[in-house]
Amino acid sequence: MAIEMTSTAPIIRSLPWGKGAVVAVLAVASLIGPYVLDPYLVNVLIRSFFYASVALTVDLLWGYTGILTFGQSTFFGIGAYAAALVFTHVGFDPGMVWLALVGGVAVAVAVAGLVGWLAFYYGASPLYIAVVTLVLPIVATQLVLSGGTFTGSSSGLVGFTVIDLGIEAWFSIAAGGLLVLTVATWIFVNSEMGRLLVAIRDNEQRCQYLGISSSRVKTYLMMATAAVAAMAGFGYANFTMVVAPEMTGFVFGTELVIWVALGGRGTLIGPVVGTILLDVVSAYLSGSMPFVWKLAIGSVFVGVILFLPNGLVPMVGNFIRGGLRRVGMWWPEAVAVADITPMAHGIEGAQAYTDAPALDISHLEKRFGSLTVLEDINLVTRPGELVSLVGPNGAGKTTLIRCLSDGFERTSGSVIINGNTLDRQPPYDCVAFGVGRKFQAANVFDSLTVAECLRLARNRHEPLSAIRRSRVLNLPEPAVRVIRTTGLDKIMGTEARHLSHGMKQALELSMVLALEPSILMLDEPTAGLTKAERHLIGDILVDLAKHDAFCILLVEHDLDFVRQISTRVVVLHHGRIVLDGSVADVVGSELVQQVYAGSGKFGERK
Amino acid sequence: MTDAAKAPALSVRGVSGGYGAAIVVKNVDLTVPEGRIVAVLGKNGMGKTTLLKMIMGFLPLHQGEVHLFGKRINGEPPYLIARRNIAFCPQEQPLFQDLTVGENLRLGLFDDDAFEAKLEKVGVHFPFLPDRLRQRAGTLSGGEQKMLIVARSLMASPRIMLIDEITEGLQPSVIERLAHVLAEQRRAEGTAILLIEQHVTFALAIADEYAVLNQGEFVDRGPANAADAAERINRHLSI
Amino acid sequence: MQVLILDIVTTAAILFAVSCGLLISFGVLKIINFAHGAFLTIGGYSALVVTQMGWDPLLAYPFSLLVGLVLGAAVERFIVKPLYDRPLDAILATWGLGIVISQVITIVFGRGVQFVQSPVTGAVELFDGSYSVYRLAATGGAVIIGGLLALLMHRTRLGLNARAVIMNENLAQALGINSSSVRLIAFGLGAGLASLAGAIITPLSSVDPNMGVPWLVNAFMLVLVAGSSLLALLIGSVVLGGLQLVISTYGSPILGGLTIAVAAALLLRIRPKGFVLD
Repeated sequence: MAIEMTSTAPIIRSLPWGKGAVVAVLAVASLIGPYVLDPYLVNVLIRSFFYASVALTVDLLWGYTGILTFGQSTFFGIGAYAAALVFTHVGFDPGMVWLALVGGVAVAVAVAGLVGWLAFYYGASPLYIAVVTLVLPIVATQLVLSGGTFTGSSSGLVGFTVIDLGIEAWFSIAAGGLLVLTVATWIFVNSEMGRLLVAIRDNEQRCQYLGISSSRVKTYLMMATAAVAAMAGFGYANFTMVVAPEMTGFVFGTELVIWVALGGRGTLIGPVVGTILLDVVSAYLSGSMPFVWKLAIGSVFVGVILFLPNGLVPMVGNFIRGGLRRVGMWWPEAVAVADITPMAHGIEGAQAYTDAPALDISHLEKRFGSLTVLEDINLVTRPGELVSLVGPNGAGKTTLIRCLSDGFERTSGSVIINGNTLDRQPPYDCVAFGVGRKFQAANVFDSLTVAECLRLARNRHEPLSAIRRSRVLNLPEPAVRVIRTTGLDKIMGTEARHLSHGMKQALELSMVLALEPSILMLDEPTAGLTKAERHLIGDILVDLAKHDAFCILLVEHDLDFVRQISTRVVVLHHGRIVLDGSVADVVGSELVQQVYAGSGKFGERK
Repeated sequence: MTDAAKAPALSVRGVSGGYGAAIVVKNVDLTVPEGRIVAVLGKNGMGKTTLLKMIMGFLPLHQGEVHLFGKRINGEPPYLIARRNIAFCPQEQPLFQDLTVGENLRLGLFDDDAFEAKLEKVGVHFPFLPDRLRQRAGTLSGGEQKMLIVARSLMASPRIMLIDEITEGLQPSVIERLAHVLAEQRRAEGTAILLIEQHVTFALAIADEYAVLNQGEFVDRGPANAADAAERINRHLSI
Repeated sequence: MQVLILDIVTTAAILFAVSCGLLISFGVLKIINFAHGAFLTIGGYSALVVTQMGWDPLLAYPFSLLVGLVLGAAVERFIVKPLYDRPLDAILATWGLGIVISQVITIVFGRGVQFVQSPVTGAVELFDGSYSVYRLAATGGAVIIGGLLALLMHRTRLGLNARAVIMNENLAQALGINSSSVRLIAFGLGAGLASLAGAIITPLSSVDPNMGVPWLVNAFMLVLVAGSSLLALLIGSVVLGGLQLVISTYGSPILGGLTIAVAAALLLRIRPKGFVLD
């Protein structure tokens, strides 16, 4: 069956005329600026523009993606030293300019890849990531210092031949470059990939369970930002004809973070305006009162982190917008709402009835230190089965789900998912094998709209674009059913944080269904839901198992619910499967009554 | 103004709440008179533990009030509530696994001076404890850990205890011992107990009253010695 | 060889003294105090004040401890406490605080290098050579600090409460422990110890407004590989400090300067628990 694909709109075409006009004015300003401004200010501004370019990369990493980095200075320094070293030791000609630029960017990208490998492994803590980005500039500075006459050690390199351009040209290059970078970043952060960055910041775990390797995304992002920072460094070295070890260092790295924080992380205008303003003011004040100026910056920085975590520029922006709105000169942009296109279901073929096991678990065991949580679990489930996992608290139900959806979790034993042997593999590989997992607490992306959440869930079927945002969602039929019956389709433009508890649960379920899994793992999907919502979820699950041949694994406390919908019940007790049978087997079982409700005489020992 | 002397040990009035926007406990009333044992039964996920967390101040109340010995306590931080002659035995992570048995017991008291005397008292109930003060709590068997939890909460001679599913996963002999200890504590010191349980027999054996929680609301309650109590509870608990 | 071993011991001891304050505050608050370097600086200048006032040089130690304690407690209440839920922001805010502190010191004392009178000086004949008495004395000081800290954590009620908060803050609260005041005390103590360490290192390191910064990174890395365990910090100080010394001696001093940071980052990549034993 054909899937309807409608056009997607490039973001650039939707650039509002107001923003376009601003860009045009700034472009003109970058050309005429040096002729009308004070020469000292022009000099300072050129430096500020280069710094602002690097600050934008810090903002992408930290403000948008949540990676606190002290190391962007190193990539800036690599670009600068590439120019200085090549022009000093090899010589200067146009070919060498390209060699230095390409070489500097290549080294920066390679280093960024190494940093990514070190810092972004599956399970790394945010603190560890910050540590690696802290070690990077320290190592870089020490290497420069130990380079003797080659790197100029602590005094740096000066007096090398550089690209011979007038100050006006440098101003236009730096300003134009910053402008292009800002527009490009604006397009990127508003694209589907840009929303993915925010999703990683909000909830990296959910990204993993949507089949996204967030480690890879973060590493690529780091490499791209390293390239940009290296280019800025290259330009800066050519402009100033000086490089010094401080350029690569940790203090400059923290300074970048301070500019971004003061300007406003997670916005584009904030870091750019913040960096330029602070650097220019600092150029004028730090000569006359260096210590007081640094003291003021430090104090304001602490205050902003404490009281204005979104920074100063957004606050000023809101103030101006508020004023304009009061006099009727400003109105918010309409939120673009996506249309839903249901796809014919059953097209993947994998959902056809087969008797091959969906899950084949043998001798699975999970220990925490000396504590054994799961012991000798053997279980085979097939498509079309709705298997409920029940048992008292602490029986190991959620742990079992975790071991089946993340290859690093179990201590020993084998898991075969749809014929694929699960090795020590992260959750996104389990998703590729056909696993869709819904968590107990609703696990969605708070800052994203309903439509954006669903779009990200489609990433494996329709790659995310770095320059566009799709206006149409192609979703498999079961997901559409959940969306339509719960009314999510009427609030596609609402941010997930504003949804009710039940709606969040429904959204997460439809995100999981949008993955087109063949095995569905659900951890207490009805917890905290109303009776009507419970019924709805139950009907949908029965339908998915019966008609779409899903294999469903359900962890559930509500035994009435279990009885109504299951085709099979597995009872866990103390980490072991004590009963595996039909609903009738379990309901009539004396053993279950005992493990579950603790009835019977407690004096009797069986 | 309630007369503090006659006020119940614990009084929960019209309490609703849960996690974030999810309402798990709905307009619940519950009274534990001084010196009485009240058992709250219900299946998993019905709001029992949530109710305890709200009483102890770990979760905010959306509505209602909680009074302890006539004094309103909701809104107070958990550590201040914990100092009001109340002992809480949580179900999740109830012990410091990496501290020793002795240190865990010490943490049941607010000052160390009375430790020896109290240890002697608790040692009567659980004779293995005084010999194993230096052992890491995490290395005790499951049953011994449960006994340590109860022992710790007895250290401070509380006037009321909140006990969350202490029998879960225990051997019948240990359950019997705990039943004996709790009944004895109530008899000797007049300690009121709020028992959260799924083990019907255990609960009815020591409780004066029972109440059944279903979907965050009490659906049945009555005296524990009623002839049909077990049958009525099992109707709500059974699969 | 004996001298190398002696160097390793004294280096490890000084590293331990410099890091243990950070360990205490990180263990209890789970927040990295990036103003730790600034508190070391405060300790150095506290010792300087003692010298300038003409007091007994030995007074520098209690005085620096007290100054650190008081300032640290104030910082916890006004800067760190609002950021409990934002640990990365707490790193930034304390770093900003470090900038503020070093600028205030610059404005008050000037930016030049200062000299502090040391209570012990000179060298002692040891292993066919002479060895700095002050390094030996500092080692003794570190041993005393470590011993007192271990006693405090394992033999007092306050230490027990602190360990309870480290392991399970909710349960600690359920047992009537005011974790907020435990945090206040831990952070204050951590800052006090940093300040004391700053006074101890003054004869070994010059006193200037940024004297603490070079120590900050090493202390930070050592604490990350030590978690909240004093024993692991001791092991880390000996192993990584020893490695640093060996590489500085037989390799290059610059590579030696990187050893702790790089080795700790790699160790954490392979073994996220670092030197913490099971």
